[in-house]
Amino acid sequence: MAQLFGPGADVVARIVLVALVVTPFLIVGSLYVWAGSPYHTRAGETVAQPILFSHAHHVGELGLDCRFCHASVETGRFAGMPATEVCMTCHSQIWTNAPMLAPIRESLAKDQPIQWVRVNNLPDYVYFDHSVHVAKGVPCEACHGRVADMPLMRQAAPLTMGWCLDCHRNPGPNLRPREAEFDTRWTGVGDPAKRAAALMAAYHVSTAGLTDCATCHR
Amino acid sequence: MSPTFTVTRGPRRGAPLDRRRALKLLAAGAATALASCGPPREAIVPYARVGDGEDLAPGAIRRYATTLTLAGYGRGVVGRVVDGRPIKLEGNPAHPASLGGSDVFSEAAILDLYDPWRAKAAAGPTGVAAWLDFAEALTARLAGHAADRGAGLRLLTGRVTGPTQLRLIKAIQARFPAMVWARYEPLHDDAERQGTRLAYGRPLTPRPRFAEADVILCLGADPLGPGPDQVAWARAVMARRRGGAAMSRLYVAEPGLSLTGAAADHRLPAGPLVMQALGLEVARRLGAPAQPGETTPRALAFAEAVAADLVAHKGRAVVLAGAGQPAQMHALAAWINQTVAAPVDVIDAIDPNPDDHAESLARLTRDLQAGAVTSLVVLDANPVHDAPEGDAIAAAIGRLPFSADLGLYKDETAAACRWGAPLSHPLEGWSDAVGPDGTPSLAQPLIRPLYDSRTAEQALALMAGEPDAAARDLVRATWRPGAAGDFEAEWRQALIAGVLRRGGPAPTAPPAARWVEPTPITRSPLILALSPHPSLWDGRYAANAWLQECPDPLTKEVWGQSLRLSPSDARTLGLGHGDRARLGFGSRTIEANVRVTPDQALGVASLPLGGGRARAGPIGSGLGGNPARLRGPGLAWSLEGLHIERLGAGRDGLATQADHRLDGDTGELLPTMSLAALAAGARPGADRPPPSLLTTPPRGEHAWAMVIDAAACIGCNACVVACQAENNVPVVGPDEIAVGRDMHWLRVDRYDPGPDDDPNAGFLPVPCMQCEQAPCEPVCPVEASVHDSEGLNDQVYNRCVGTRFCQANCPYKVRRFNFRDYTAGAPWRDLDVTALKAQRNPEVSVRGRGVMEKCTYCVQRISAARAESARDGRPIADGAVKTACQTACPSEAISFGDLEDDASRVAGLRRDPRHYVLLNELGTRPRTTYLARVRNPNPALRKPA
Repeated sequence: MAQLFGPGADVVARIVLVALVVTPFLIVGSLYVWAGSPYHTRAGETVAQPILFSHAHHVGELGLDCRFCHASVETGRFAGMPATEVCMTCHSQIWTNAPMLAPIRESLAKDQPIQWVRVNNLPDYVYFDHSVHVAKGVPCEACHGRVADMPLMRQAAPLTMGWCLDCHRNPGPNLRPREAEFDTRWTGVGDPAKRAAALMAAYHVSTAGLTDCATCHR
Repeated sequence: MSPTFTVTRGPRRGAPLDRRRALKLLAAGAATALASCGPPREAIVPYARVGDGEDLAPGAIRRYATTLTLAGYGRGVVGRVVDGRPIKLEGNPAHPASLGGSDVFSEAAILDLYDPWRAKAAAGPTGVAAWLDFAEALTARLAGHAADRGAGLRLLTGRVTGPTQLRLIKAIQARFPAMVWARYEPLHDDAERQGTRLAYGRPLTPRPRFAEADVILCLGADPLGPGPDQVAWARAVMARRRGGAAMSRLYVAEPGLSLTGAAADHRLPAGPLVMQALGLEVARRLGAPAQPGETTPRALAFAEAVAADLVAHKGRAVVLAGAGQPAQMHALAAWINQTVAAPVDVIDAIDPNPDDHAESLARLTRDLQAGAVTSLVVLDANPVHDAPEGDAIAAAIGRLPFSADLGLYKDETAAACRWGAPLSHPLEGWSDAVGPDGTPSLAQPLIRPLYDSRTAEQALALMAGEPDAAARDLVRATWRPGAAGDFEAEWRQALIAGVLRRGGPAPTAPPAARWVEPTPITRSPLILALSPHPSLWDGRYAANAWLQECPDPLTKEVWGQSLRLSPSDARTLGLGHGDRARLGFGSRTIEANVRVTPDQALGVASLPLGGGRARAGPIGSGLGGNPARLRGPGLAWSLEGLHIERLGAGRDGLATQADHRLDGDTGELLPTMSLAALAAGARPGADRPPPSLLTTPPRGEHAWAMVIDAAACIGCNACVVACQAENNVPVVGPDEIAVGRDMHWLRVDRYDPGPDDDPNAGFLPVPCMQCEQAPCEPVCPVEASVHDSEGLNDQVYNRCVGTRFCQANCPYKVRRFNFRDYTAGAPWRDLDVTALKAQRNPEVSVRGRGVMEKCTYCVQRISAARAESARDGRPIADGAVKTACQTACPSEAISFGDLEDDASRVAGLRRDPRHYVLLNELGTRPRTTYLARVRNPNPALRKPA
């Protein structure tokens, strides 16, 4: 009767045993990696919009303030999208016949708001408030990236809970003086560590409650 | 020639899938999965136009003052509106019938707005119609009445106080001089009207000034019970029931336990006989030429003590007679009040209709049956359900050539009528109303009408011959003539404040109240005493799921009511607790469960009206018998000669609390102190926690805490419904309640610390205790129950996997588990419940199945206050965060604030001598604590041994 197990059987058995232990970790680990990767978070993905609006042009080149369009960023939970009339402040005077802006003119004529595609989306169980972040010195750029360099809008940050917590545990390095919050070209002066500590004190930011579950979830 | 089609079908059910097709499907599936590697992108849309207002930020809460009515009387509310949707109603501090507090009816009105069962279109003889079709039909019909000057026309309404509606009714009467305007409320005040007529010669309304009353005697009256005055009176009465030198003394004699009876220092269960004897005895001792009646020694002692107290507090004592008492009792109360110079304002009736309610309804019924009526318009009334002869009325309406019912729902009366037309919800239109004290206020729309409906004012204007009037113009036309100065400024001011600064009726100097000798009454067989339903009122709110699931404050019954009997009567009748019985008078009978309760007066069975709706949608229909059918002509409150027949063993009524007494512990859960003991330095129990090996979590910037004053709580449930509205708490329906499930984050427990014959019932609202050493936290395997730096016990829904260990380990039993997908609206059966979503508070997660949930101290309101303080750069002031239950509480029994601020109200209340901790011996160190109840018994009135 021939041998049931060949000479390599031991090796196979060891590999199988190791694989039995390692594979679950590998699967869970790769799921974690995938969940944080841009494939899942959609960070960096450029999104097609009904109108090819360029932040690089309007903010970077023309120098419009963020709040000109996103008017409720300092007062409400949502930054707000500009009404068609806001676009028409200028575009009733310039580029009045540009084919690219046809949807705007149609929106005004039909009295129907423009349906933009949401770029930065948080899950419904996260209660994010723009106004608090602005009031505490968090600049737009900390989350939205350097929009002055984005011809088309893209999600700059992964927007995962871990990423939120990075800042909630140590907000100092992201904070800016009040006058620089909406500055899209600010680089900061002086020692970053000293500046962070000074700004934390100036804005009365305490990290004691920042990682409470109820800060964002309720 | 018509083309022919070959109908191709997929593979037949059960046919084997061949290899080729299986591979095709597999490839298609894989391709689909690869192509859709993420959820679809959402749209983001600008919310407001330029010029809509600077503060119209998306997601911001806007507040508008408006008015809701209960039984016709206006009560001010403030609506919270988010993104154009009203989501929550609160009391209007500027309105004297609210003072910022609210009751179950005004809290639950928001659900009616989005009720899936609301009438959405008119219905005529040919089926669904537009409002304009109805308007055309009505206009044509009314044109025909020009000939008989309206002699065959009847308008039926409930109580009307709104000046605009009254003006338009006058206009209709001018157009049809022979028309009869019938008006009745099933829960009427005829006895008061007749009683004051006996005493003063004309119907007047006594308005007690409770703030000045040291002694209050209620003869069947329930000023703390449900009704248009509940909120204001609860505030005034309970302000002086929290201990201290200014504490009032409250005597209550009543047939069945009421909320006022539960708050009383001395309560006497009294049927009509004892009640009259008591009233006469008190009057006799105050000098009336009254003959002493037949009574019990207990009632006699009660009368003696009350009379002495009334005399001792001349000028500061009040007597009230209840709506269910006979007219002579009201006359007697008027006489006593005059004799003791009671702090009572007497005003002319707010309701200008001169007819008594019962008489008005009886005349309409007669006319209908005699064929004197050819057209009937019913405006927001439901006689087919709530009139005693409802079936006869329905039959008579069926014979009319024209009948129309205007209301929020297609109810019993709408079903009987030829036409049914939808009225707008009070939050959808312009209107006005007058409060029970005479304060006029405006109602403004918080949202455009959801359906093709009109306001009651527009319907009346249509009848008056103004078919296209805008509701706003109608209301403005009422108020413009009386404007003292700039009308526009006054209008704007009234819309902001919610109250019109035009004087209501000033207190009149009434003529001297005459002494009216009551006709002696004889001992009678079993009496049935009817009362308002604590959450359905007269049945008009039966379609509201929150109100159906709002427990009766005293019995804790939901989704239906039982007949209440005293143990001795039950024994005589051979009935046991939970038995099914048929009760009635002759051929008028209904079925009900029996509830044997020791606080019931001997010889009186009590039953609330409001049940037994036949057409109240999937929520309200088919829940028990209709007690209104037992009333007989005359809309009686109390009927003699009740016959009860046992049908067999039933089950207990559905209730959220089974026992009101826990052997030996009741006094510790709800400690009750006498005023004298409190003054002598007694304490309700230890409020220092026992030593613990556990570490105390570090304290953060704030330490939120709540103190609930059990002495001020009247048990009304306003907080329970407010919590439900604020926190997206679903209803579970009767089937789930029957298996012991319930989702209320805040419950109000009733405990009876007294002996059987004088249970001394009291209430204890129990939200989450937010324990500092919370038993729920260590047992959660996924850290879904965690402590935060401000002392809140956070429940993280997204982590919760539903082990329910936390619920099992919670000693206060405040955690609620969503066993089925309650948010999907199962109690509405197969109705489309999409509209309910519009009521949801966007600041609070909507929880799904399999998740534990509980009170969060309204953490969304804490967050809002924190955001505001960050924006303004100011610390959160004491009182800036008000929880939903606290805002709703009519008697201000709930306080909330920050313990880190030593000067805060809660920190102060925690140092109060009445302060105690629920289940302190467990060492949970709860942040929600209580103040003990106080009673101010009359030393002269010893309890019978």
